[in-house]
Amino acid sequence: MNATQPAPMLEARGLVKRYEDGVLALDLVSFAVRAGEIYAMLGANGAGKTTTINIFLNFVEPTEGEALVDGIVTHKDPLAAKERLAYVSENVMLYPNFTAIQNLEFFARLAGKTEVTRDECRDVLRRVGLQDDAHAKRLKGFSKGMRQKCGIAIAILKDAPAILLDEPTSGLDPKAGFEFLNLLAILRSEGKAILMSTHDIFRAKEIADTVGIMSAGRLALQRPASELAGQDLEQLYLQHMAGHVERAA
Amino acid sequence: MITNMIGVIIRKELRAALVSPKFVASFGVCALLMLLSTFVGIREFQASREQYEAAQRLNEQEMREQTAWGRLGTRVFRAPDPLQIFASGLQNDIGRWSSVDAFNPVKLKNSVYSDDPVFAVFRFIDLAFIVQIVLTLMALVYTYDAVNGERESGTLQLTFANPVPRHVYILGKAVGAWLALIVPLFVPLLMSLGLLSVFDILLSAEHWLRIAIMMGASLALVSVFIMSGVLVSALTSRSSVSFLVCLVGWVVTALLIPRAGMMTAGYLVAVPTAAETDSRLDGFSKERWNVHMKELGERWRARNEQLTGKTEEERRAEREAKEWDWMEEDDRSRKQVQRDIDEYATRLREDVRNRKLEQERLGFTLARFSPVAAFQLALMNLAGTDMGMKARFEDALTEYRKTFNTYRDAKVKESGTFGGIRISFDSQRGMKIEQGREETLDLAEMPRFSDPRVPLRDAFSAALVDIGLLVGAALLACAAAVAAFLRYDVR
Ligand SMILES: Nc1ncnc2c1ncn2[C@@H]1O[C@H](COP(=O)(O)OP(=O)(O)OP(=O)(O)O)[C@@H](O)[C@H]1O
Ligand SMILES: [Mg+2]
Repeated sequence: MNATQPAPMLEARGLVKRYEDGVLALDLVSFAVRAGEIYAMLGANGAGKTTTINIFLNFVEPTEGEALVDGIVTHKDPLAAKERLAYVSENVMLYPNFTAIQNLEFFARLAGKTEVTRDECRDVLRRVGLQDDAHAKRLKGFSKGMRQKCGIAIAILKDAPAILLDEPTSGLDPKAGFEFLNLLAILRSEGKAILMSTHDIFRAKEIADTVGIMSAGRLALQRPASELAGQDLEQLYLQHMAGHVERAA
Repeated sequence: MITNMIGVIIRKELRAALVSPKFVASFGVCALLMLLSTFVGIREFQASREQYEAAQRLNEQEMREQTAWGRLGTRVFRAPDPLQIFASGLQNDIGRWSSVDAFNPVKLKNSVYSDDPVFAVFRFIDLAFIVQIVLTLMALVYTYDAVNGERESGTLQLTFANPVPRHVYILGKAVGAWLALIVPLFVPLLMSLGLLSVFDILLSAEHWLRIAIMMGASLALVSVFIMSGVLVSALTSRSSVSFLVCLVGWVVTALLIPRAGMMTAGYLVAVPTAAETDSRLDGFSKERWNVHMKELGERWRARNEQLTGKTEEERRAEREAKEWDWMEEDDRSRKQVQRDIDEYATRLREDVRNRKLEQERLGFTLARFSPVAAFQLALMNLAGTDMGMKARFEDALTEYRKTFNTYRDAKVKESGTFGGIRISFDSQRGMKIEQGREETLDLAEMPRFSDPRVPLRDAFSAALVDIGLLVGAALLACAAAVAAFLRYDVR
């Protein structure tokens, strides 16, 4: 490790996950995300992206290796780790009978932000691009994109040093997707460490500091985005996908 | 920090309950049902109180119009008790009155259900029943998806992306569900109590105390089911499964176990039927009389033998001299036989009663595996409509019959009219009080029957076991839910 670099905020050390049914979802995955960095995880369906994120959240325990948040091993001290984590899932689900603001308030309080105000909630909802008239509406009638925006708002409100995003832009319209990238840039400038899984190769290349391509539970390729500048990421991606298909066959 | 978080979860649960249509609808149904039941209960109580008072007035009047102390009898009526509005128990199954006189043993006759079988078919729905059946079901409908529902809807993941300790979450869930249900269920319950004063049903302080304890027992029972629902939802990952488990569990605890318990006890402890005891008593007395007759015959033969070899004169003289002794001897032995038979009958009765008690005790012990049965037993004890009710009344009536008979015998002696048969003039009865020979009886000193009441302390200590069981079961289910959730897969 480079002595001049700060310690990583998120770190995977030789993660192996074999599910109870024998599926090897992760096979020795290691990477690190530092404060002020965005790490984009690419990979086909079933490559192991969600499993990786779930290990950071202690939703699943690694079979081998460990995931660390701010130096804390997540499966040893999950509460301390979760204090430092914000999370947006690929399909944000909230309480359908609560309004957007009520949902935000509840999750903010769970996150320890007990004195969050309605105005703060409104501000954050505006930041993620949820139109004002939806703030006081029940989640019941929200589209997937609107829910996704609420999920992102909840993550922002938590103001945690590390952010886990599992395909956060799924369901967002192009404008919202674009705005989301801006938002990510701002969060990075605020010093957050961001781990994002995505299928969006172009955006990943555009925004990420590091890009990792997962294939059948392995981190097949990991490069700083700057090195990829001249290369065709799509080509690389498909190459590794081909490898994945070959291995699987 | 932790108490804070529990508070956050509880508040969320309460808010979620308030905005859910399921909640509003079921609350409305419960409230309506409770108020209706109380209303009907009050009307029935009022009607039976009027009936009771009228019957008593009539009885007193009839007694006053009797003219001979010697044949004075009375009728005793069971006074209705306002607690029957909430827990009717055996109230309607037990006869409402008994005659008390010199000749017949007391026997409670004419129960509500025997007079009006339609009521036995459509049994009166009291609050105890509503708590046992409706509220317990409601508690399960409410909590069966407390945990797995959140997993299915995906909110559990987002919740546990935060530093929420699992035991805190599940406790918050349990307490939240508890508050969300208990408060709305008890508001209509309290409103039903309010109906009592609307209808001018006066209750003593002791009544109120009993009602308060009954409320406590209801609270405990509903808590058992709330916690069980949370437990089942924390043991299963799909709400469709937990719904089925809860439903089956409810049928087993609310309907099956109480009956199975009593039935098992019925098999294990045999209680001879009335026909059986009658025939045994018959057999015994026949046997006893046969022996008696044989002995009598032998005695006479022996007596005759003593006289053989004597002259006719001597024999007559001796017979005359001893006749009285012989007759007394025979009479003694006849009385002895009668005493033996009576004793045997008493023993038989006691045996039946003891076996019945034993059967009952075993049945209750088995039935108590169901919190619903424990609750019912507790409530009946508190309301005084329990299994001992009939025996209690019959004992008190028998006791009263003794006092009454003593009183009458004293009066007979006093007035010196024993055996004197007076002719009464029916046409003048009830028209006006006649002076002279048709003077009515002065019943001012007549002993009055007072209803046997189990003292609050005894009723409470009898109910305490059951209430304790309920509270224990609720706490156990809650602890089990916490333990189960520690290993729950939140994804
Ligand atoms: N609970 C589970 N039990 C067994 N196998 C699982 C479980 N969850 C995931 N898997 C398997 O682990 C592998 C990785 O799944 P994962 O969800 O991590 O992929 P992913 O990269 O997130 O895919 P996607 O892009 O579709 O979201 C897959 O083969 C999947 O079938
Ligand atoms: Mg995934």
